[in-house]
Amino acid sequence: MRAKLCIILLCLSSLTLTGCQSSGKIETASIIENVSIAEDNGKICYTFYTLTGGDKPWGIKIPASSFESACDLAEREYIPNLSLSKLELLMIEDTLVDKVMKNDIEYISTQPSFSPAALVTLCDKKTIEKFAETTREQNLIEEQLILLKNNNPEVNISYLSVFNNFESDKNSEFTVGYITCGEELSVNEKKLKKD
Amino acid sequence: MSSKLRFSSKRFLLTLMLCACSVILLQNYDLSPNASFTFNLICVASGLAICFVLFIPAIIIKSRTNLDFLTVAAVKTPRLKIPIAVFYSVYFIFTAEFFLLPYTDMFRKKYYYDVTPCLIAALLLITCVYAAIKGVNVITRFGIFLFAFAMLTNILMFGGSLGQMDFSLNTFELTGGFPDYIRNTLYFVTPAFIAVLFACLSGKTKNFRIRQTVFALIFTGVKYALVLFFIWFALGAYAQRQEYQTFLLSRAAHFSSFGGIESFYLALATMSVFMIISLMLCAVTKSVKRESDLKTVIIFVVILFAAHACGTYLNSVKEILTNTTVFVIFTAIAAAVIPSAYIFAGRKSNARKALHNITMS
Repeated sequence: MRAKLCIILLCLSSLTLTGCQSSGKIETASIIENVSIAEDNGKICYTFYTLTGGDKPWGIKIPASSFESACDLAEREYIPNLSLSKLELLMIEDTLVDKVMKNDIEYISTQPSFSPAALVTLCDKKTIEKFAETTREQNLIEEQLILLKNNNPEVNISYLSVFNNFESDKNSEFTVGYITCGEELSVNEKKLKKD
Repeated sequence: MSSKLRFSSKRFLLTLMLCACSVILLQNYDLSPNASFTFNLICVASGLAICFVLFIPAIIIKSRTNLDFLTVAAVKTPRLKIPIAVFYSVYFIFTAEFFLLPYTDMFRKKYYYDVTPCLIAALLLITCVYAAIKGVNVITRFGIFLFAFAMLTNILMFGGSLGQMDFSLNTFELTGGFPDYIRNTLYFVTPAFIAVLFACLSGKTKNFRIRQTVFALIFTGVKYALVLFFIWFALGAYAQRQEYQTFLLSRAAHFSSFGGIESFYLALATMSVFMIISLMLCAVTKSVKRESDLKTVIIFVVILFAAHACGTYLNSVKEILTNTTVFVIFTAIAAAVIPSAYIFAGRKSNARKALHNITMS
């Protein structure tokens, strides 16, 4: 009898440990799934796309000089409960490679909340525009990048491998994914020179 | 709660081996960044060789008397009972903190930044009280389950990291200096705390063989080597940018679209720390009393919690409690110096007779 009473009390007390008290936080949290970096009217803009079940992606465009300042600004003024732990894809417009890529990847490498296996790729301006239209494009790009990696293991598609290539003294250039948009999306390879 | 029945020595050493393996799980930037993988392998071999040397006094006592060191010490030198009990109590409290502080620190930094470290420590210690009262035998049974879980987690962690391997950027070259060797070897001597646990808790084990200790240390070495291999070749320079590199390895592991097994890693780290602290509580109660009882366990848990709170809020205390050099020196005294003194000195005929009587009974 005493054992049963203990089990019932334990079951009841376990309800207090479920995190229900702060469940509002989960509902209101803005979980960022993808980020695109593009040039808009001469300014670098970071667009944070939230996790959504719908067809149309929902993004917040933040002008900033780096990913670090964009994250700070986003958390302070646009997305109070910003969560970047589920970030899956970082897309960088090809014209901004020299300006942002190395610094942003370096910043990401110091952040414990980011997954090192998340994807990073270059793309043209049209792809960034198409990226903002449907979630289908976003999923398609991720799938195509993984296929590209499977076909050519030399291509670096994650933060981890891109950062390691930037840091290494053993190579002067390395290959990353490059997405272009004609009538259809096309995933290619692009060589990046470290200097 | 503890019975007079003896349990398998194999099971006890399996549990100790899992405790030793947990050192690398809580690795927090303690290794020199200048040392290469091959260099670290040499450090692992040196560190574990020292661990084996520190095991020898406990092995001799166990083989000769089939008793644990604390029992032998109590019989041989009844007058030194209090100093011995005080020394080992302080040692076990220190060791428990050595693992508890990095664990709560990791939990807060990697999982939930807003959580109070003392709350995690309190919850863990409450469960450890229960385990410590149940005794070493029950904890070693849990060790079997943990071994299976550790195997699963390691397979997932290493298997999932295979896709990230890069042998073009990271090579097997040997780089590192003498200071790096000392620093890294000291770190790899930390599993020697299992020698102290063995010395103090092996009294109720049966069928002990020296090879069990050797296998435990070899397996620990293999685990360390694998973790270092994957950190070096799968994470590369990225690993140097963050703390808790084994955690990072579990986060980077992925199978096609399924990625990140950090929840498995957290579960393994939690259970390993739980097992270490439970064994420490068993040992600490054994050092002051022959049998564990609730009152003694609770007193030491309160001390542990107070030390943890001090370590959390006072950085100087934390630095001492997590200092590898202090820990290794302390371990060497507890595992080798004091037991060796009992082996080589104090061979009184009465004490030997009393010891013989206990062994026979």
